[in-house]
Amino acid sequence: MTDLSIILRSLRVRLFSTLVTIVTVAVAVGLLMALLMLRTSGEKAFSRGTGNAELLVSRDASPLESVLNGLFYANAPRNSISLEKYDEIVGSFPWEWSVPTQMGDSFKGVPVVATNSDFFTRFQPVDGFDWSFEEGRRFARPYELVVGSEAARTSGLKMGDKVPLTHGFGQSRESDHVHDNHRFEVVGILDQTNSSHDRAIYTDLVGSWVLHAEDRVERDAHGHDHDHDHGHDHDHDHGHDHGHDHGHDHHHHHDHDHPHLEVEDLLPEDKLITGILLSTPSRGGGSVSAILPQAFDMLRRDTSITVASPSNQVARLFEIVGNVDRLLLAMAWVVLASSGVGILLALWNSMEQRRRQIAILRVLGCSRIRLFSLVITESVLIGLIGAFIGIAVCWGGTLVIAGQLQTRLGIVIDPGLDPRTILLVIAATVALAAVAGVAPAVRAYRTSVAENLRPLA
Amino acid sequence: MTSTSTPHALHIDGLRFSHGERPGDRFAIELDEFTLPRSEEMLLVGASGTGKSTLLSLIAGLIQPDRGSIVVDGTDVTTLHGAELDRFRGQSVGMIFQTFNLLEGFTARENIELSLLFSGTPTRDHRSRTDVLLKRLGIDRPDAMPGELSVGQQQRIAVARALAPRPTLVLADEPTASLDPENATRAIDLIRECCREDEAALLCTSHDPVLRTVFDRVEALDDANKAFVGVEVPE
Repeated sequence: MTDLSIILRSLRVRLFSTLVTIVTVAVAVGLLMALLMLRTSGEKAFSRGTGNAELLVSRDASPLESVLNGLFYANAPRNSISLEKYDEIVGSFPWEWSVPTQMGDSFKGVPVVATNSDFFTRFQPVDGFDWSFEEGRRFARPYELVVGSEAARTSGLKMGDKVPLTHGFGQSRESDHVHDNHRFEVVGILDQTNSSHDRAIYTDLVGSWVLHAEDRVERDAHGHDHDHDHGHDHDHDHGHDHGHDHGHDHHHHHDHDHPHLEVEDLLPEDKLITGILLSTPSRGGGSVSAILPQAFDMLRRDTSITVASPSNQVARLFEIVGNVDRLLLAMAWVVLASSGVGILLALWNSMEQRRRQIAILRVLGCSRIRLFSLVITESVLIGLIGAFIGIAVCWGGTLVIAGQLQTRLGIVIDPGLDPRTILLVIAATVALAAVAGVAPAVRAYRTSVAENLRPLA
Repeated sequence: MTSTSTPHALHIDGLRFSHGERPGDRFAIELDEFTLPRSEEMLLVGASGTGKSTLLSLIAGLIQPDRGSIVVDGTDVTTLHGAELDRFRGQSVGMIFQTFNLLEGFTARENIELSLLFSGTPTRDHRSRTDVLLKRLGIDRPDAMPGELSVGQQQRIAVARALAPRPTLVLADEPTASLDPENATRAIDLIRECCREDEAALLCTSHDPVLRTVFDRVEALDDANKAFVGVEVPE
């Protein structure tokens, strides 16, 4: 028999009250931990996704939208940049590297990014970490696909699969128009990077140009306004007002001959991109280029484009949501504090029921101060058990939330439990429980022995 | 702490205790001198409300007297305070109550071990001492909760708990009040026998006239002036 076994027996005797109090603490701790973890890992996940791109050029409405679309694949950019403009931007400054990207197609809802091989050699999905392949290689010619790790899982694509791409993704996926005149072959599956780039499929830019040029030729041949919105300035408007019935359904599984074009057949208006990833030369091995502000200012003067610093935009995004974040966090602390009140009330009420028990313990030689510490320890134990359960539940809950974020928003969150955060929350809970136990402990301390030993009526 | 080399288990000198302000509520104990030698036993009789339980609480140090000394096993408990007094009570005084006062949620064995825990008995001795008492008192379900045991078994646990730390003095407050005459005689025989075996002095209170035939020494609290009046010859 030890003091701890006395406390455990006491908790067991009031099992229902004990469990309810522990659950209250666990819920509060779980909520607090979840918010702390998601905030940290969310910011980390966003920061990871920007990779080593210092600047992003697009024709989106705002820099933040540009970053969300261009690097986090939230939606297909609605406005495009011509290849001429790309050449002009690239030639205007001594960039370390530049990578063009074009988005607008998808496979089973997974966004397809058309780019060139520099995307795999110069752009790093996470700053300081190069791409690596789980299987296969990067694309070497048009109509080849490289699949991100998460994209492979969600789409079911395997090496050697040959699939058509669908027009549009995200909010722009207004039709199920399938580019079925070309099959794209999976030639590589990427290793996981824990960034947004895991949930995209990558293909050669030229193949994408040809694909859409063929669509254009086909539209022209049929003379209708069968327009696709990727990389174009107008809305997607499929087929209900077609001038004629050309024998296919609105899924556009064309059963007639498709036009086949070669690279040489491409017109300047076919060669469109939606984004440019840029990096400036760094001096002396520094991680941030000294001439970046200069490059940024130069590009900003061009009003036809939107230039964004991805890292700044991510920081800005978290500033915007920061107030809500702080409010939620404050609420979580309040919930934790209210769980402390729950401990106090549960123990306070139990002291009324335990007056006789306290008196007997005193008769057996238990000192007032030992009794005081028994009640405080009991309170701390409730807090500690609640904290551990809360953290465990939070761990499970965060995994679910992270899965939802990944599936719905494409934000890959690694819900890692920061040991310092865990210790902070446990320490705060224990301190709160100890404080909550003081009033009941004082009540136990003051319990009159002689009065409470009288036989019950 | 005042410690003397007295051979007595209990020696009371010039004890004065009063409680209550209004005349109707006023309650007082005045006891000039009283001695209970080691290993001896005594029955203190008196009607309900004469202060028997209060006197036991004073001896156990649960309440403080206005004046006088109460020396238990050579230590004046009126000079002890706080944890020191509690520890002394745990080591030197065993208490048996009318309603047993066993702790719910603790098994029979644990109820006994609790008194060893607070008396400062080395942890390594808890199990062996408890086993001895369980066997001697015939407690055959040591892992049962008190509520699962018969009244007789509960009484045995209460006796074992009081004797576990090998106290010098056992205070039994109306131990047979809730028992029928046959069981009352059996219970008091058990308590006396156990105290004799452990060489503990026994001060038992009761208003049960049957017990006056059992004890060699019987004294009474006068219910007129609430004062200890001396020896009452057993019938």
